Amino acid sequence: MHTFLAIPVLSIVTILQSAVVSRITLLHGTADIILLTIIAWALQEEVKTGWQWALIGGLLADFLSGLPFGIYTASYLLITGLTLALRVRIWRFAILVQLFATFLGTILSHALSLLAVIAQGTNLSFQTVLETITLPSLILNLLLTIPVYILIQELALQVHPRKIEL
Amino acid sequence: MKRRFPSFFRNIVFSLLIIGLLALALGGYVKTLSRLALTPIMAAQTWVSKQYTGFEDFITAPRDVTAIRQENARLEAENASLQAQIVELQQQLGEYQILAALLDFARAHPEHKYLGATVIGRDISPFLHYVIINRGSDDGLRRGMPIVTQKGLAGRVSQTTAKSARVKLITDPTIKVNVRIQPSRSEAILTGSITGDVTLEQIPQDAKINPGNLILTSGLGGNYPPNIIVGQVTSVRSQEYALFQSASVQPVTDFGELEIVLVITNFNPIDIEPLIPVPETP
Repeated sequence: MHTFLAIPVLSIVTILQSAVVSRITLLHGTADIILLTIIAWALQEEVKTGWQWALIGGLLADFLSGLPFGIYTASYLLITGLTLALRVRIWRFAILVQLFATFLGTILSHALSLLAVIAQGTNLSFQTVLETITLPSLILNLLLTIPVYILIQELALQVHPRKIEL
Repeated sequence: MKRRFPSFFRNIVFSLLIIGLLALALGGYVKTLSRLALTPIMAAQTWVSKQYTGFEDFITAPRDVTAIRQENARLEAENASLQAQIVELQQQLGEYQILAALLDFARAHPEHKYLGATVIGRDISPFLHYVIINRGSDDGLRRGMPIVTQKGLAGRVSQTTAKSARVKLITDPTIKVNVRIQPSRSEAILTGSITGDVTLEQIPQDAKINPGNLILTSGLGGNYPPNIIVGQVTSVRSQEYALFQSASVQPVTDFGELEIVLVITNFNPIDIEPLIPVPETP
């Protein structure tokens, strides 16, 4: 049931990403709110559908992007695995994990995208990419990660009300 | 025995007294007297009037405040509605201006058929330069159709769905456009980059290129119709030992503000790949 919830939620997030967030740039970097949503969902207590959300989010992003199909799916699945591993180890500080996973996730996602772009025959300067795309994207993602976490936490509480032990 | 005045004389005397008093009053001779008489009366009237006004305010003021507040709320709502209308009209005016400019472009190039489309999104990857438009294969769009704005070339359709299409912009790193530089008429290849900068490659060494030269599509390669403005040369890089010159280009289209575009629907791109000789392997 909670897997199906991913379809409307991530569809809205993907539309917002393409129609609004991708237009707001810092140098040439943009935030990735699909990535932030997937990380935030995977970090919620009681949530066991992190992988499914990553898969659906990845497929939606792949349908919308000009990158080779599967790049976003692979990125988001890898990032979910990373987030779940961090959640097990640092479970008390979910927001810290969110920040850390956002940092690593952005780097990982950009690395995979970059590999795909290079494979398509594009010449580029790594320094330029780092300075004008990856670091600005990282800053935007880190700025948005807490608001996204709070929104997803609210959603998770609606879906999985916490049990009170008497 | 009392003598009584007849009533006629009494009335005359009384009238004369009144006329006399009026004449004295008009002449200003009874001011002091009237002041003395009226002062306590006016004081009493002032006190009564103040008390009445206070009472009236007490009764009616709350009703007035409520009425004013209601009126204020109504005016604020009306103001908000008018502000929204202004924003909408400004937006419509902006769209009208773009459409008028696009119409001018279409009139200047009557050899093509155009279909207007709105940009509804951008590629979610910051490494690519694509936009998504609200026209697709149901509207007759096909892969490879050129996209222009009122200023010049914007890109080409790279993929279509029934109701939308993905457009690869000329700033994308994987795009290559055969162009001609005016006035020298030299041929070159325009390429995008990952940061959106556009450059001219493979300009012959003997070509005379200067900043400000105009760049038009050449039509070579069959991917774009000829003579569509692409941009202007901003700087030239020429080295003696290199085979070709290169140049930086300022595109005429502002890709950050792309809202409405035209699809050239009667241009069929030619796939020349089968004509390119493949080296035979021994």
